[in-house]
Amino acid sequence: MNERRIVQTGIAAAVLLFAFRLTAYRISEWEQAIITQFGKPVGGAITKPGLHFKLPDPIQKTHRLDKRILNWDGFPNQIPTKDKKYIWVDTTARWRIKDPLLFIQTVRDEDGARSRLDGILDAVTRDVISGHNLVEAVRNSDRIIGVIAERNKAAEEMGEEPETSGTLEKIAVGREKISEMIIEKARKGLGEFGIEIIDVQMRRIAYEASVEAKVFDRMVSERQRIAERIRSFGKGERAKIMGKISRDLQEIQSKAYEKAEGIRGDGDGKAIRIYAGAMNSDPDFYEFLRTLEAYKKALPQDTRLILSTESKFLELLRKR
Amino acid sequence: MPDPWEDPSEEIKDLLESMQKKFQGGFKFNWGLIAAVVLVLLAGIGALSAAYTVQPQEKAVVLRFGRFVGTSGPGIHFKIPFGVDTAIKVPTERVLQEEFGFRAQGVKGARTTYEEKAFKEESLMLTGDLNVADVEWIVQYKVSDPKKFLFNTRDVRKNLRDVSQSVLRRVVGDREVGSVLTTARAEIAEEAHRIMQEVLDRYDMGVRIITLKLQDVNPPESVRPAFNEVNSAKQEQEKLINEAEREYNRVIPEARGKAAQELAKAEGDATQVVNRAKGDADRFKSVLQAYRTAPRVTRTRLYLETIEEVYGRFKEMTIVDKGVQGLLPVFDARGAGAKP
Repeated sequence: MNERRIVQTGIAAAVLLFAFRLTAYRISEWEQAIITQFGKPVGGAITKPGLHFKLPDPIQKTHRLDKRILNWDGFPNQIPTKDKKYIWVDTTARWRIKDPLLFIQTVRDEDGARSRLDGILDAVTRDVISGHNLVEAVRNSDRIIGVIAERNKAAEEMGEEPETSGTLEKIAVGREKISEMIIEKARKGLGEFGIEIIDVQMRRIAYEASVEAKVFDRMVSERQRIAERIRSFGKGERAKIMGKISRDLQEIQSKAYEKAEGIRGDGDGKAIRIYAGAMNSDPDFYEFLRTLEAYKKALPQDTRLILSTESKFLELLRKR
Repeated sequence: MPDPWEDPSEEIKDLLESMQKKFQGGFKFNWGLIAAVVLVLLAGIGALSAAYTVQPQEKAVVLRFGRFVGTSGPGIHFKIPFGVDTAIKVPTERVLQEEFGFRAQGVKGARTTYEEKAFKEESLMLTGDLNVADVEWIVQYKVSDPKKFLFNTRDVRKNLRDVSQSVLRRVVGDREVGSVLTTARAEIAEEAHRIMQEVLDRYDMGVRIITLKLQDVNPPESVRPAFNEVNSAKQEQEKLINEAEREYNRVIPEARGKAAQELAKAEGDATQVVNRAKGDADRFKSVLQAYRTAPRVTRTRLYLETIEEVYGRFKEMTIVDKGVQGLLPVFDARGAGAKP
């Protein structure tokens, strides 16, 4: 009797376990599923994670789908922009299966979805990029224009070469908007597949090889222009300083001459006044004294003198 | 319930022994024994698969039939075995790093192969003035929420790489090549960091960016010499200016000193002239004062003394009487200019 109980319990447990394995299925946090009965979907999508039950396999089947954000990776596309510049655009997108039932019915699985995404996103990207100028896909704001204008102004004041010449064109939409436009357009096309597009990122934008070479050439010539200007500026500065040297030199020397002569003149004037002041008290005596002094200094030595007896010096001789 | 840790070989030995007995005494199952054995085996397997260890740098996310029931920190933990509970370990404390435009050699050499193509594709980007810059950078991040990390996006690393490239291009795209290469590095990294975190938060990815750092930022390879030329031109410019300044410094201070010298000399000259005048004047005044006491005598004396001195100096003297005529042509005219 006891043995029979054990056997019965054992068999019952095995049967239950078997039934459980046939009918139970688990849905993980990152999954959602559609149950099909003989290929026809029954009920809504199962999105709640945990343990669920269905009829055994040949009758009802589970189709698991991812609930998480998924990636789409585009092929780099060579696209001409509106201003006829050839660029490579490499976009990636994030998407999600929003309506599993619709998704299963229209694209079956992720591979199917991927091919739809390829078609739609590539086309939309191409449309949007080729409908705009290159700068729209590069820049996000006009901030740079202000920055450059300010810098150029400062450079001009310093007499230096502005780093960037010419004017940058203003953008009408900008990079983020371009992405949004791609998302917007793609969203319309993808809704009918049960796909929600979350965002599109332009991962890479690069010049096409031949354009790139030209851009590099331009960059080289731009740098050379700047370098030349810098050198020339240096030479100019040197010339300025050289000019300053000769100007300052002349100024210093002539100022010194001016002052020195003035000082000397002052001294001479003073001396004249002093002489005059003293001599004026008896001009006659001064004349007499000074004449005598002049004789002493002016008449040479060792010379020959012819005197007339008429001279005053010999007056006494004559009178005798 | 038998002890699950009991040595299974003992059990098997027992089983074999009892089986032998059964065969000897005719074929008859001992159902109770089989049930016991089955239960013991199940319990053993269960106990082994119930325990799991979480390392210090990890957190474990526990799912019951796929549904999230909680997270557990480092240490040993138990879960319901037989596939009811699953524990997924996530390295939350480890700082993960992604490199762009280059790859670290060595430890990380065993990375997936698709990255081994030319990294220039990642690093060459257009600047706002439609030039090209070669920017390399790294992103370091941590899993901040293991639940979101596991459940919200399928490929966190790929999203992170895509977003980082897109965001950095956006930030660089708003700047001109000159500042990208020089002054704006920190600013770019900071802004890219912020925007990247914003975008990742939008995906609710459970990842926190710790740093975004720019590594080498260069002009493209073929343009580099031209950029260097600009730098050398700057050096040259400074050199020229320095040379000229040197010349200025050589000449001007010396000229200033000389000018000062000239002035001092002039002042000296003037003082001398004035002082001499004063001396002469004083002398005259003194003489005059004395003279006035006896003008006639003094005058005569002075005159005669002078004549004496002057005439005394002559080598020869000829005195000619008024009556003598035609004598003059004999003499050289040199000595003839004497005072009458």
